[in-house]
Amino acid sequence: MEVKVISPEDKVLVRIMGRVDTTNAARFQEELGFIINGQMKDVELDCTDLEYTSSQGLRVFLMLQKAVQGRGGKMVLTHMQTQVKEVFDITGFSNIIRIL
Amino acid sequence: MEAMKDRGLDMHCMMMLEEFEQLRPALERMQKWAFAQVKQAIDKAGLMVTACESRVKTEDSLAGKLELKGSKYAFLSDITDLVGIRVITLYSADVDKIAALVENLFTVDWEQSVDKRKNHSLDSFGYNSLHYICRIPEGAYVDPECPEVAGIRFEVQMRTTLQHIWAAIYHDTGYKSDVEVPRDYLRSLNRLAGMLELADDEFSRIRNGITDYRRKVQRMVSSGHFEDVLLDGDAFRSYLALHPFDRLNHSIAAVNQAEIHEISLFPYLEVLHEIGCKTLGDVEKMIRDFGEDAYRMAVHQIGGTDIDILTSSIGLQNLCNVAMLSKGGGVNGLEKMYEILSGPSPYNRHRAERALAQARLLGIKTE
Repeated sequence: MEVKVISPEDKVLVRIMGRVDTTNAARFQEELGFIINGQMKDVELDCTDLEYTSSQGLRVFLMLQKAVQGRGGKMVLTHMQTQVKEVFDITGFSNIIRIL
Repeated sequence: MEAMKDRGLDMHCMMMLEEFEQLRPALERMQKWAFAQVKQAIDKAGLMVTACESRVKTEDSLAGKLELKGSKYAFLSDITDLVGIRVITLYSADVDKIAALVENLFTVDWEQSVDKRKNHSLDSFGYNSLHYICRIPEGAYVDPECPEVAGIRFEVQMRTTLQHIWAAIYHDTGYKSDVEVPRDYLRSLNRLAGMLELADDEFSRIRNGITDYRRKVQRMVSSGHFEDVLLDGDAFRSYLALHPFDRLNHSIAAVNQAEIHEISLFPYLEVLHEIGCKTLGDVEKMIRDFGEDAYRMAVHQIGGTDIDILTSSIGLQNLCNVAMLSKGGGVNGLEKMYEILSGPSPYNRHRAERALAQARLLGIKTE
């Protein structure tokens, strides 16, 4: 798993690459901690190269969403691969996290 | 002050203007304090108001008043609106609620206060507003630097938004009283006042009707009379408070020992309409008729995974899938449903086709 911050300004774009699973979910959360603790209100997570997410990954997405919405902002996941989107669908997460 | 002389004010009025300027710091202190009291009381009561504002009269406005009726006032303290607070409400009943709050906060001078709503005869319409002339109650505000504050009277105006609009437009005409207004225009203004009074009453009637309806729906829902309750926003909200999908959700979650993250199911209201549910009874029937298939479909999706977190939409989501397919909605119906929930996307088609394939695999009725 790799996280690449493209623009760390008020509008932040982050590219997530690889797999998020039990082995690296803690590091995934740590690397995105700057969004949870920051003030940016416009967050885009580019999931083009995200291959898989486990439940732990879903929890991190949920945490990010809560933090961003809590400060009146919005978070969107973009370019998600079908097999990852299916995980969001079957868990009901696509009902609460905006996926474009 | 020189400019005021141009208004032709006499010595008495000029002295009152001078006294007013000296008193201004005290007036500003009392305005700030009294306004904060009113605002705090409104917030505490949870009342929604359109506006709550205050001001100290400007020198120009006072000079205008003195120019018109300066001889009426022996002392500056006879003028009771040097400090003014105005509360604009949404509904006419709320004017009386605000009045009750003001009565509890301040000492009301009933002799000087006027309820202009009651001033009109049966066949006349015009300015409708409640004006209280108030004083700070003894001991409620102690200011050693400005002891005179406690004795200053001030005005609190309370009216509805529609009454306020009428008053603002009347004020904009520049006329200070009805006798100044040309007869034709006075008739038009008063006709509008009558219409706005009617609109105020109608808005109150609508609000009371909605409140009664909500109470009735809540009673019907909690007593289980679902068949008689039309599926609208109020009914669905009351129904969701009974957690009707919890049993199905927990059965599904138990398969993977998953935790359930609570989310709002309100967006499903439109989906249920799309499926053809007209009453809460139809939703109940949907749970009875399709609960088992919804469970199978959900388990088919998550059973082979290590997913251990689900949202509380899991049961309803699968119920809607099964119900839509059973009613013959097919791929198009499912796609429409996903569009309602997540917005338009080419992916919705893929998701719908996948759901249909799963249903067929499980032998679930699909047409």
